[in-house]
Amino acid sequence: MSLDRSHIVKSYEQELDLLRTMMAQMGRIVESQVGLALDAIAEHDEAAADEAARRDPEVDELEREVEGLVIRLLALRSPMGPDLREIVAALKITGDLERIGDYAASIARRAMKVVDEGEKISLSGLRSMGRLVRENLQRTVSAMIAHDPSQATEVWHADQGVDEHYLTLFRELVTYMMEDPRNIRSCTELLFIAKNLERIGDHTTNIAERVFYAATGDNLPALRPRGGARKSVAKDVKKS
Amino acid sequence: MNVGLTTSPENGSSADAEAALSVRDLNFYYGNHHALHDIMLDYPARQVTAMIGPSGCGKSTLLRVFNRMYDLYPGQRATGEVIFDGMNILERTVSLDILRARIGMVFQKPTPFPMSIYDNIAFGVRLHERLSKSDMDERVQDVLTRVALWNEVRDRLRAPASGLSGGQQQRLCIARSIATRPEVLLLDEPTSALDPISTARIEELLDELKEEFTIAIVTHNMQQAARCADRVAFFYMGRLIEVDTADRIFTNPRQKQTQDYITGRFG
Repeated sequence: MSLDRSHIVKSYEQELDLLRTMMAQMGRIVESQVGLALDAIAEHDEAAADEAARRDPEVDELEREVEGLVIRLLALRSPMGPDLREIVAALKITGDLERIGDYAASIARRAMKVVDEGEKISLSGLRSMGRLVRENLQRTVSAMIAHDPSQATEVWHADQGVDEHYLTLFRELVTYMMEDPRNIRSCTELLFIAKNLERIGDHTTNIAERVFYAATGDNLPALRPRGGARKSVAKDVKKS
Repeated sequence: MNVGLTTSPENGSSADAEAALSVRDLNFYYGNHHALHDIMLDYPARQVTAMIGPSGCGKSTLLRVFNRMYDLYPGQRATGEVIFDGMNILERTVSLDILRARIGMVFQKPTPFPMSIYDNIAFGVRLHERLSKSDMDERVQDVLTRVALWNEVRDRLRAPASGLSGGQQQRLCIARSIATRPEVLLLDEPTSALDPISTARIEELLDELKEEFTIAIVTHNMQQAARCADRVAFFYMGRLIEVDTADRIFTNPRQKQTQDYITGRFG
């Protein structure tokens, strides 16, 4: 059911629009942070790494503003039905976006430590994981802006691929470390980066779930696509 | 017993709860004006069912059907059935005195009788029961205690009820309604003339009363419906659009019209 009509109280509708604008803005900034962090890995681009970290306070500030607006809307407008769901979802999504921004900044910082000495190590696995994570995030942010539950569902399923990438990378990096202990430092950074990407994937999944809830009032199944990979990794470590 | 709207799963059935009132194919006319269309609705026993909808949607009309208020006005008529305790209360043979003792009603504006606080309660009881002085005293104290008015009025039971505040008067009216020990309590916007504290007291009271009574409340205040009701029925232009748990109606209603109404997008 779409809200094709405006609210009778115009200022309420304006506040809802402001919330949507702030969420879209936050989504776009976080998207760009992730893009910059991935450039930092792929191109050893220091400027990109700096820019990714520099945008973090902007995201934090937006999170605070969204929280303030949500509390105001709840207190003064007593939202109901789809409005209530959208507002509550925004409060939760803003937290996920803020975390994603943090992970992107962390990836950018680590990327600068890796590439210098890690030339022997292939980054292709990490790049393709990064591409998938970035694409999922972009699609999720678009789904959020368009209130599109079917796109949210697609991304939600696509996170499975991110987990699989993480599992493969984990094995790969452990192999590098076993081959030559001099790789350990770089590989550890790369492992952290892979883990951060995997976490970004999880937060993206959370956002997709909340977009779905806000749009439909129903929850996606309790069994989430994430988590499986982590268990397999633990088993893998025990075996090796 | 359960048929129609309230039983299909899509309508959030409360089929597990026995219905105190069952409305079946009810149509109501003010002369030529067809005010209620084919209403099918169950009021589960010992639950609060709120009726919401824009002015003129028929919610108050329905409430008035339940105690046959329309009998006072020629030209007003109802067809269909309202089943209460195995009988159709729309039948001519139903005794209105007994019906109105078993289905109590509280109105928007407090309507205390122009008599003492004590007599406001005793008056209705005397019509239906012959109680000794001490039993009547006990009944008066009991119902005043239950509406949380006893401590405020115990020293002035013989004073005129008109001296009470609006909120106290409304609680007195509720006490008067429950003094005849009805099974169903109908409330037509009982707090619209009251301040927020008195409103909260009445809402708290409804929460306690539903242990014993089946409550149907008409309200324009959606927050009130959300706070008090177990189930909410949305009416529009004389039709029942949707009935479901309060939770469902206010977070994720099934019908577009309900959604537009609760979010304030009604044209």
